[in-house]
Amino acid sequence: MGKIVIAENLSLKYENSEIITPSSFTINSGDFVFLTGVSGSGKTTIIKSLYGEIKPNSGKLMIGEFNLNNISKSKLALLRKHLGIVFQDFKLIPEWNILKNVMLPLLIAGVNKTDAENLAMEYLSRVKLSHKADKFPEELSGGEQQRAAIARATIHNPVMILADEPISGLDEYSASLVMDLFIKANRLGITIVIASHSIPSNFSINFRQLHIEKGKVYELS
Amino acid sequence: MSSLKSHLTLILALISILFSIFLFKTFSQILEKYKQNIIDNYSIVIVSTSTLSKADIDNLGELEEIDIKNEISKLKKKYKNIDFSNITMPHFYKLKLNSLPSPNELINIKNELLNKPFIKKVMTKSSSQTKIYNLLMLLEIISKTFMYLIAVLGFLLIVKQLEVWKLLHNERMYIMELFGAPFWFRGAALFKIAFIDSLISLIITFGLIYITINSAIFEKVINDLGINFEINYLNDFGILFLISFLISFLSSIIVVIGKK
Repeated sequence: MGKIVIAENLSLKYENSEIITPSSFTINSGDFVFLTGVSGSGKTTIIKSLYGEIKPNSGKLMIGEFNLNNISKSKLALLRKHLGIVFQDFKLIPEWNILKNVMLPLLIAGVNKTDAENLAMEYLSRVKLSHKADKFPEELSGGEQQRAAIARATIHNPVMILADEPISGLDEYSASLVMDLFIKANRLGITIVIASHSIPSNFSINFRQLHIEKGKVYELS
Repeated sequence: MSSLKSHLTLILALISILFSIFLFKTFSQILEKYKQNIIDNYSIVIVSTSTLSKADIDNLGELEEIDIKNEISKLKKKYKNIDFSNITMPHFYKLKLNSLPSPNELINIKNELLNKPFIKKVMTKSSSQTKIYNLLMLLEIISKTFMYLIAVLGFLLIVKQLEVWKLLHNERMYIMELFGAPFWFRGAALFKIAFIDSLISLIITFGLIYITINSAIFEKVINDLGINFEINYLNDFGILFLISFLISFLSSIIVVIGKK
């Protein structure tokens, strides 16, 4: 299996302090990875570096063929078109309804509106939200918004989904639904990287765990 | 409601800028025509011992000899005891200047002419000319200051609008950027607003212009000034059309580029 992420002696800074000290790790295509650590350990910093929001301070970071050390704006946009990102605060566009929010990656890719709408409805039914397609984000519960965000993150068939604390703040039922959606996406071959302070107790599939402690990234078996 | 308010701010700003540009242009045009009117009716009288050509007066304007035969015959009738055949009469000329001179320029012209040995006298009607010139300059300064003030106010309104737009659209543009949206896609909503607002502003401004130039006061002023004022709709509205779209699109581009 090919390596989709290669980090060599990667150091990351956030607001002038070094959050991740030189660490090396790789993620293979199709992996299901939990990035764990206590609050403030640097999980979000790593996730942000993987979608190019934070540039490496030193070392090397490659996502597929993209070198994130010095990536141009146009190449970063191209990389992001192949990623699905899920945020703790969902980041759905408030003035758009759920259907249009889910359509976003397709509209960016230039898919025509009707096809995008049809596919978005299909993905909304997969996350059991087709009946709320015309609702606005503020009209949905946290769990529903996160499911819509996952539909948005998977609709364009990304090579990797990066999720930052996706089940934090959700009730047990919603959290289990959301994790189930990640598992289904992974079964379709999508690489999943989830930043989470812990791993759900009843997690049933094979996964890898990258743990951050005192700024260093370790692989736990 | 807040959305309507944000539209109104840009529309109001654009209208004030466009209308001030129109007024500025119209005032300049009227003043220029009025100046020309004064120049056409204004002349300097030169008394010379010899005949003059344009070169003799350094091409300051059009030279026209005044026919004094009538005046001489009147004088002959009045003063019968004087033998006019022994008197050599000077040549009288009317000099129509190319442009309306300032009072200082007029003094310089007079001195320059008097320095020529064959020119004996120069009559400039300088006091009335100075009054008219100063009045015109005062009008020009007041009107320009007024237009600049309106334009600055409009500009400040647009700056405020940029801040509002940043707050309203920043989050959406950020989310779109996270999914790899290109520049035009992120700014699409703003460009649409900019287009609609400029169109509305243009229509309202054109309406205001139409009302202004067809008003009784405006027509009376133009008639009283004795000038011929015509608006070039295609040219003037074309300029306003370009300015309106340029301002609103530049503003939206600034917001999209300046996204934090």
